[in-house]
Amino acid sequence: MAARQPQRPYVLIIGGGKVGFYLAKHLIERGYEVTLVEKERARAEWITHQLGTVSIMVGDGDEMAFLATTGIERAGVVVACTGDDEDNLVACQLAKRKFGVPRTIARVNNPVNVKVFRTLGIDVPVSATELLMGLIEAELGHSELVRGVAVKASGASLVDMALPELSSLVGRRISDLQLPEGELLVCIVRAGDPVLPRPDEVVQKGDELIIYSRTLDVERVSEALSR
Amino acid sequence: MQPVKIVIVGCGRVGSTLARRMAEEGHEVSVVDENMSSFARLGEDFAGQMVVGSGVDEEVLRRAGIEQAECFASVTNGDNRNIMAAQIAKEVFHVRRVITRIYDPIRAEVYRELGLETVCPTTIGAALLEEFFTTGHNAAQSGTVLPRAAGATG
Repeated sequence: MAARQPQRPYVLIIGGGKVGFYLAKHLIERGYEVTLVEKERARAEWITHQLGTVSIMVGDGDEMAFLATTGIERAGVVVACTGDDEDNLVACQLAKRKFGVPRTIARVNNPVNVKVFRTLGIDVPVSATELLMGLIEAELGHSELVRGVAVKASGASLVDMALPELSSLVGRRISDLQLPEGELLVCIVRAGDPVLPRPDEVVQKGDELIIYSRTLDVERVSEALSR
Repeated sequence: MQPVKIVIVGCGRVGSTLARRMAEEGHEVSVVDENMSSFARLGEDFAGQMVVGSGVDEEVLRRAGIEQAECFASVTNGDNRNIMAAQIAKEVFHVRRVITRIYDPIRAEVYRELGLETVCPTTIGAALLEEFFTTGHNAAQSGTVLPRAAGATG
């Protein structure tokens, strides 16, 4: 007896720009049933030529009568990814509230609108700008050590290293961290509480590391830690 | 009507006419439009505030004083833009009286059902014309339906 294929959800994508096009392409490659809605006929023809099998419909993704012809009511998810926030918002709201689509994803062009979209009922607002900003901040924030108390006897310092969101240290065991000679992890500060850095302790998101550092060579310490 | 703070998004014919009227009545009016040149419609003696920017940007709306606003209208030439601006005014800033113009009758109906106060000039216009054809009576001009819109001054 042949194993029953698990049913992949039907995905309706609104907007055939770069984002919508690549999204459709990859979802189809992974076996999803996809319909792509694009306003401009010429662009729609180009996409059909590129993707072959994809179901493309020319029309307005915010037009009720047109949406009704796309089979939207059986879609598991609707993704609105045009270049206009207001069009994405309306398309998702119609999908959710008029056609009962369980999950709506909207591309947000102005990052300020992420919160607004959430307030207005969009399940997943995605802003590429916001994601990039987060990554850049995490990258830049990585080597940020705050110098603390000087230790009189040795001239060394206690430094506070606040781990950025996406630090490569997160998930690693203390025993696997290699600090240069003269440096020692003294304490982990987790949600405001001190935690003893036992060898089997695992670094968690949001941790701050208090390090006894003789060299205070910021580059060296963070480089050593991220090895 | 007591003088209140009013924010209007879109300074086209409707937006600018509404803004001028409300300002003449003594209300504190802010008009938001992406194009500086649109503000010319307000005339040189316009006493309200003019804010250049997008009406679907919280920060721009805040600059227009939406946090103190009692009334809000979105009347740009984009239906979706009007819908989004009105929803921000209503759901994010909790403005008491929010109304939006939607040209597409179906979309207007949908958002009315979803709780937005809407005006659809397409339906209103068509209904007025139809009434004239069937009764010979032009309600817009006679002042029986929309006295102020018909140009009668109170």
